[in-house]
Amino acid sequence: MTVAAPRRVAPKNAEELSDLLAACDRAGEKVGIEGGGTLRGMGAPPAADVIVQTTKLKAILSHEHADLTTSVQAGMTLGKFFDSLASAGQFVPLDAPRRRAATIGGTLAAGWLGPRRHLFGRGRDYVIGTQIVLADGTIAKAGGMVVKNVTGYDMSKLYVGSFGTLGVLTQANFKTLPMPPGARAFVAPLPIQTRARAIDRLQALSIPPSAALVVNGYAREIDGEDADDGRLVVLIEGSPALLERATRELRSALGKAGVPETRIIDAGARDAFERTLDAYVSTVAERSITYRVLGDPVGLAECLHGVCALAERFELKTDLIGDAMNGDAIVRVRDDNDRAFSSKIEMFDDALHDLEPRAIVIAGDAPMRPILNLWGSPPAALAQMRAIKARFDPNNTLNPGRFVGGI
Amino acid sequence: MSAFTDRLIGALGADAVKTQPEDLAVYSFDAYSQGPLPTAVVLPSSARDVSAAVRIARECGEPIISRGAGTGLCGGVIAPDGGVVIAFPRMNRILELDVVNRRARIQPGLVNLDLSKHVASTGLFYAPDPSSQKASTIGGNIGTNAGGPHCLSYGTTVNHILALEVVDEHGEIYTTGVDEPGYDLTGALVGSEGTLGVVTSAWVRLLKQPEAVRVWVATFDDIEAASEAVSAIIGAGIVPTALEMMDRLTISAVEAAFHSGFPDAAALLLIENAGFEDDMDACESSIARICREHGALTWSAARSQAERDNLWAARKGAFGATGRIAPNCYLQDVVVPRTKLPSMLQAVEEAAIGHKLKIGNVFHAGDGNLHPLIMYDRRDAREVRAVVEAGNQILSAAVDLGGTISGEHGIGYEKRDTLARVFNPDDLRTMLRLRSAFAPENRFNPDKIFPASAGCEEVR
Repeated sequence: MTVAAPRRVAPKNAEELSDLLAACDRAGEKVGIEGGGTLRGMGAPPAADVIVQTTKLKAILSHEHADLTTSVQAGMTLGKFFDSLASAGQFVPLDAPRRRAATIGGTLAAGWLGPRRHLFGRGRDYVIGTQIVLADGTIAKAGGMVVKNVTGYDMSKLYVGSFGTLGVLTQANFKTLPMPPGARAFVAPLPIQTRARAIDRLQALSIPPSAALVVNGYAREIDGEDADDGRLVVLIEGSPALLERATRELRSALGKAGVPETRIIDAGARDAFERTLDAYVSTVAERSITYRVLGDPVGLAECLHGVCALAERFELKTDLIGDAMNGDAIVRVRDDNDRAFSSKIEMFDDALHDLEPRAIVIAGDAPMRPILNLWGSPPAALAQMRAIKARFDPNNTLNPGRFVGGI
Repeated sequence: MSAFTDRLIGALGADAVKTQPEDLAVYSFDAYSQGPLPTAVVLPSSARDVSAAVRIARECGEPIISRGAGTGLCGGVIAPDGGVVIAFPRMNRILELDVVNRRARIQPGLVNLDLSKHVASTGLFYAPDPSSQKASTIGGNIGTNAGGPHCLSYGTTVNHILALEVVDEHGEIYTTGVDEPGYDLTGALVGSEGTLGVVTSAWVRLLKQPEAVRVWVATFDDIEAASEAVSAIIGAGIVPTALEMMDRLTISAVEAAFHSGFPDAAALLLIENAGFEDDMDACESSIARICREHGALTWSAARSQAERDNLWAARKGAFGATGRIAPNCYLQDVVVPRTKLPSMLQAVEEAAIGHKLKIGNVFHAGDGNLHPLIMYDRRDAREVRAVVEAGNQILSAAVDLGGTISGEHGIGYEKRDTLARVFNPDDLRTMLRLRSAFAPENRFNPDKIFPASAGCEEVR
């Protein structure tokens, strides 16, 4: 059997997409969905006959500044979306990597969980309405343009994080937040032996930072002179008065944790945060795999330590980002040698899941991805999820096999 | 005694199964309406009890209605005719409290306010605070995705539910999470009004109590000015923790009942901001300035926790207090984009004048979520007809303004035939795909949410 390269189609509107999907569904053609490709490392690459690109769906449909709501098409990049919101002094805390390439639709479909969610909530909490095209061509809307809505099922919750396996998102309506007036970033060297103490102190701050990330490695991705010994990147947002107090409290707390020197970045504070965010999905040629372990904040230091020790046992190099406020661990394992990497990674993957059953793969161009446990232990309600897939996409047309449990 | 009730008694014990008409009557109403008697009411003590009841009901072909405290306002827990009502007064415990990770596992019958009271000493609280919180249960709140004044900044119930334990149509128990890979079943189940399964426990998120809280009252001599002030506050990028409005009719009822010291005015705003002490003065002066620019007559701040509590008690008791004005009261629930508040209030006034009814307004202004209170006397046939027509007119006005027909009470039985004003058949059929995945036999609360008309058969 020969495998032809998939056909790439970029529909101009929901109606064109509807015709396309319905035709594929009838013909038994499998359809992959592509946004900015920034999160293509999540899930198994689908074997697709047709790839739907959302590149032509990139308009802002409405932005009612005074309502704090906006409606955008799914193919718009996060960068353009955020810029447009910022011009009205607003934002939506989606916090996905590589905003200039990432799209609204892709970020939502991937259910991306950003570092500021402990403070502002998840991306899904900001979606007040959606338009989706199902495999059979049905165009359906859910929700609306109001910030509070219990009219019928909240279908948008189901679509966010469904990895395009239920339908193709064409439009999302958001509630927005006023942009905090000030932002300040703190960068400090963080030796490994003080990491656990620093995490403890950060979690106990009376003014919680918007984000607090402990980093080891990622020297190429995140500039910083102390790459080998670890760094701390903290973002604080709020009024000038609050920033002053937060600065005092943060310095005092870090001092007690044995982190005496912090550098303040006021101009471009959010950029420093975003560079770290971009590193979440950065890969090293075909010789790296990045995992995300979702844990509790209190267990983060131990999780980072455990995963590192494990990688060492397999003689793999690691880069780490620990999200002190949410408890996420981002772990990139790599080897400079192709052959050595492919022989180690499969065993490491097994051992990692013994240690952290909830580890999922979020990035990596490595050819051995298909043999890895990309989604960690299967969810408890997999049967219910399969039932939903069967009702929305009975012919298994959309993104087949990309998601948990082979959905 | 039918075979159905005999089997329920056999499985759960006579003490947990009610079959006498006087007992069943207690479970045949909500805060809006009364319906036919169910065949039986069961009072489970565990998820296993729920599972057994569901299994028996399915085998006997009976519908299953799970019910919290019955404080709902849209007939959402009224039995269709027969069937088994599952009520949770015996499943009202906090099963686990994880202070460090700020979460608790609770049973569905736990009364909303009891959770915050119980965890208060740990410095935490449970944010969703529907006005019914002294009576309503968290299980019921999950059913309707309940809101409340403070959801303006904290979000509605769905933002605070981390995981659910659910019984399906076959009596099988499964669990859902949040942030785990896989479909967001938790997000889909919250707000599904008991049509997709029976929730038997939930992990809920707790928040750290804010270090500073301020509550202010601004009065206005005209309701339009007050609503324009609300739009201006939100438009200026200020989202306080709560932003509530009451009109003259409601203020007078509330004053008669609570003596909270609300001044006589055409409209008042009750505003709360919670957060850091450092931000409070600036926030206060911005909001006060906007209110003054929109013609506020007075501006005052609560001076103590006791004063704040009084103001909130009065606000949350407003619905009950209207009993002083008319024997019956029909509470509507509509949402419009926040800049459309003035137009929506005008539409409510037109409905009042056009149908010769008294309509009060007490609502979550910051969210654009209105609660017109239509006063009437059930014994007056003209008024009853007028209430229905006025209610309809208000729903249509909300939809025409780009809003929707329920912000936090739900669709239930009352509004199911109006759902098609908001969603087209394709939208509704897509929702029904979800229902058929969770509950293919449509056994849970079968006659709720979706239209019953001929259109519904097409939808199915």
